[in-house]
Amino acid sequence: MTSYAEKYRPKSYKELISQDQAAMEVQKFIKEFPKKKAILLHGVPGTGKTSLALAAAKENNMEIFELNSSDLRNRTKLEEILKPASEQQSLFKKGKILLMDEVDGVTGTDIGGVPELVRIIEKTSHPLILTGNDIWQSKFSKLRPKCKLVELKPLKIDTIARILKIVCEKEGIQENEHYLRQIAIKSQGDVRAALNDLQFHSASKGEDMEYLETRNQEQSIFNILKLIFQERQPFLNVFDNTSLSLDEILLWIEENIPREYQNQSLYNAFLALSNADKFRGRIYRQQFWRFLVYQGIFQSAGISFAKPQQTNKFTKYERPKRVLKIWLNNQKTVKKKTIAQKYAKLVHCSVKRAMKDFNLVKNFIKTSPKIQGQLKLNQEEIDFLGK
Amino acid sequence: MAQSDIWTERYRPSAFEEVVGQQEIVKRVKSLVNSINIPHLLFAGPAGTGKSTLALIIVKQLFGDSWKDNYLELNASDERGIDVVRQKVKDFARTKSLGPVPFKVIFLDEADALTREAQQALRRTMENYTNTCRFIMSCNYSSKIIDPIQSRCVVFRFKLLEKKDVSSVIKKISEKEGLKISEEAVEALYEISEGDCRRAINLLQATASISPDINAEMINIIAAQTKPKDIKVVLDYALTGDFVKAKEKLLDVMLSESISGTDIIKAIQKEIWNLEIEPEIKVKLTEKTGEIEFRIVEGSDEFVQLESLIASFVLAGLGK
Repeated sequence: MTSYAEKYRPKSYKELISQDQAAMEVQKFIKEFPKKKAILLHGVPGTGKTSLALAAAKENNMEIFELNSSDLRNRTKLEEILKPASEQQSLFKKGKILLMDEVDGVTGTDIGGVPELVRIIEKTSHPLILTGNDIWQSKFSKLRPKCKLVELKPLKIDTIARILKIVCEKEGIQENEHYLRQIAIKSQGDVRAALNDLQFHSASKGEDMEYLETRNQEQSIFNILKLIFQERQPFLNVFDNTSLSLDEILLWIEENIPREYQNQSLYNAFLALSNADKFRGRIYRQQFWRFLVYQGIFQSAGISFAKPQQTNKFTKYERPKRVLKIWLNNQKTVKKKTIAQKYAKLVHCSVKRAMKDFNLVKNFIKTSPKIQGQLKLNQEEIDFLGK
Repeated sequence: MAQSDIWTERYRPSAFEEVVGQQEIVKRVKSLVNSINIPHLLFAGPAGTGKSTLALIIVKQLFGDSWKDNYLELNASDERGIDVVRQKVKDFARTKSLGPVPFKVIFLDEADALTREAQQALRRTMENYTNTCRFIMSCNYSSKIIDPIQSRCVVFRFKLLEKKDVSSVIKKISEKEGLKISEEAVEALYEISEGDCRRAINLLQATASISPDINAEMINIIAAQTKPKDIKVVLDYALTGDFVKAKEKLLDVMLSESISGTDIIKAIQKEIWNLEIEPEIKVKLTEKTGEIEFRIVEGSDEFVQLESLIASFVLAGLGK
């Protein structure tokens, strides 16, 4: 079964919904070639970059020579395949377009990959279309000035919902509007993802929508929080698709539990978090990394099942503030610490004890310049005591 | 040395005869010192009962005026890692002692702050330098010191100072400093300090810095400044269901007063029995408090654990 995403790939500029601006730019580039030799289409996945390149070839009746840079990434490979293609004339048609898909795949470690691309751009006798997601990485700094840059914006929810509806009609599937909209929202502007979800969903009727979430894309922490706070699922892999560490996520959860849960649910959630933290402590103390499993389960499933039923509301999640507060406080109490250190040394006790007794002893340190002298306090420290 | 104006130092006993309380221990330590051949010593007991003082007296008696050259004081709870301790011990023990006593003395304060692994490492160090060094270690709980170290030391258990001991110290200092202090004030000092002499003297000096005429009320006011008093506020917020305010207040108290999680737990545990909730719930909360204290001691994140405890108080407020 071909995927909907392939089956309904736009074949002309007209079919390419809501990327008119980008299509115009591409057409202009091809007409004006070789004024600019390469165009770099960039944007998040599923916005139509490859489709636009393919459509451009069709519209101009040109042959397309496609390269997937995920497979061919180093200089020799590039030279071998792309260079002859860029210098030969097309056999059957008037013109030829070279498509270098997914330039993100050309890694910095593949020596010569990017510089070779630059050289090819300089020499090519055919328009070269490149696509990529994140083109602002430093490794592309040499490449960017050589190309005309065109961004494809993520599609609006409404637009995606419309596309889904068209596909449904063509496939003869009955789907209710609400579901289509849900899929559109979850796709985050990625049409390919939305179509895949639709296909999967219509194939597994009756299954729960939540399976859609297992797609492997970088989840924002806000999405993760919404999932575990509002739905009731085991979510065992919910943290796989984020670059945040479990410990960072723990702080996010800690900060936001009271925004979602009250009373019994709040208690349950903190019990789970406390358990997660207990295992974290053991990992740190004993370097027993297997315990990560338990930490992960407690701070995902444990939080998710803290409530009796799933909810659906808008919550404004906040970033963790505790670490910042502690840091700010430490800045404020640096002086306290240095005074306590000096005091501890003089009276044979630990700094810890001195910090604990600080409010008591500062009473007489503050009022006695003699003691300040014996402690060798500096002016800043004396000022601190006066405050 | 110029005389210190901090009373805990100025009035720290410098000879065995001046020590108040712990008479048995003083007698035995004195005879050890007189024979010059002292073993490693382990002083166990609560804070402010004279452990550091006795260690200082020992070195002063042994080395006289040159005691500072032959004495190293390390605080295990401040030194980061056993490696630092070992390096300092090595550097110090490498050279031979000056004068007639054939060894130097290392005082390792709060040795129970060292992990078991660190203590194992320390045990080797003790053996390696046994010819040139004697260790005096102090701890609050001797059970936290591993057996091999205990077996190498003569153990002395310090008791909390009795009321008469604390009173005599307070009265002596008051007299020398020209203070007027009421009998009730002396009583209050003892009650608040709970037999911790350092705390009693600090409290006296803090009060005296305001007025030389001291009564019990003043003592109580000064003491109140230093208690984690807002714990009650934190718990009240929790019991009325305001978790967010409770946790914000808690963090505030901990940060502004530099109070550790374990001290907060202790305060909460005491406060539970003053709350207006059913006794059955108090027992439940105590169980939870104990579990949380255990987790903090085990090395978990203090604040996450305390938040979990506060959440139990929110439930308690609902009668659960």
